[in-house]
Amino acid sequence: MSDAPDVTTHDPAAWRDGVKTGIPTLFGIGAWGLVVGVAMIKSGLTLPQALGMTLIVFAGSAQLASLPLIAAGAPIWVIFATGLVVNLRFVIFSALLAPHFGMLPWYQRLHLGFVSGDISIALFLQRYPDPAPAPGKLSYLKGLLYPNWASWQVGSIAGIFLGNAVPAEWGLGFAGTLAIICVMVPMVVSRPALCGVLVAGAVSVLAAGLPYKLGLLAAVLVGMVTAMTVEELGDKFAPATGKEERQ
Amino acid sequence: MSDVEIWIVIAALAVSTAITRSGFWLVGHKVTIPRRVQEMLRYAPSCALAAIIGPDLLLDPSTQAFTVMNEKVLAGIAAIGWYLWRRNMLETIVFGMLFFTALRLLHLF
Repeated sequence: MSDAPDVTTHDPAAWRDGVKTGIPTLFGIGAWGLVVGVAMIKSGLTLPQALGMTLIVFAGSAQLASLPLIAAGAPIWVIFATGLVVNLRFVIFSALLAPHFGMLPWYQRLHLGFVSGDISIALFLQRYPDPAPAPGKLSYLKGLLYPNWASWQVGSIAGIFLGNAVPAEWGLGFAGTLAIICVMVPMVVSRPALCGVLVAGAVSVLAAGLPYKLGLLAAVLVGMVTAMTVEELGDKFAPATGKEERQ
Repeated sequence: MSDVEIWIVIAALAVSTAITRSGFWLVGHKVTIPRRVQEMLRYAPSCALAAIIGPDLLLDPSTQAFTVMNEKVLAGIAAIGWYLWRRNMLETIVFGMLFFTALRLLHLF
């Protein structure tokens, strides 16, 4: 692969485009962060601990999963392993994004990976499904990632300081679910994708009782296999469309 | 847990974030993913998003019992409808939250 300077050159238009695409999701992300912030304080972390956790860890579901383990005094390696498993979906996400940005220096890849979030990556891949170098790609990604990180931190820190002031029954975390719905709906335009999503959702509910949130990973795997199977069957029954080069 | 132990936990969780989120970014370009796996990975983000919201929508938060008729599912369906109609994310979130709050205050469930 040749070096493609057009990917790394700052492109203000692409940056603004990324920010604009991400803006509607920021409220959901902020509300989600708020809920995690409240949860950290309510579980007994001190103010510096909660602030440190949100700024250093930056992983909502892993943070939420670790809180009961900390309260119960679980061994540190168990909490570490739980964090790894809860975050496993990001291995898949980063595998999808890595080919786009292989040309960047390692510290930039480390940093961009660290601040990436589910919704930002989904939005990015919707815009750039192909890993081939394209002008403005990096600026677009940064326009998605940085505001996403900032709104998470603002929400989370607000939650830490609000503490018990926000009643749990307001259900602010639901805004995060709504944000995910908005990102997901345009992704299920094909029959295989829709089947995969429905099966993944069903498996995640059935396997919710598995320890260490393993049900999440199981749901992703079964959903992907379902989508691929439906795609293959579609290929088999559809009239020849030039796709038959793969057995 | 002592203060020092909690800080060690926080550092350990930060490492788990770095490994899972940045691991592939650091070494991934040296690893060739088979085409078949790549094709499958295309469906990963939408499946993962579904897996994240599935339990939130369909399980009762206090009992973990399976419920189809609850305010979150109905608000979620209404939000999908609103999104398909308007194609606007912020409107959808505001509408979905209002719908959810209305159902909650009406105590229908």
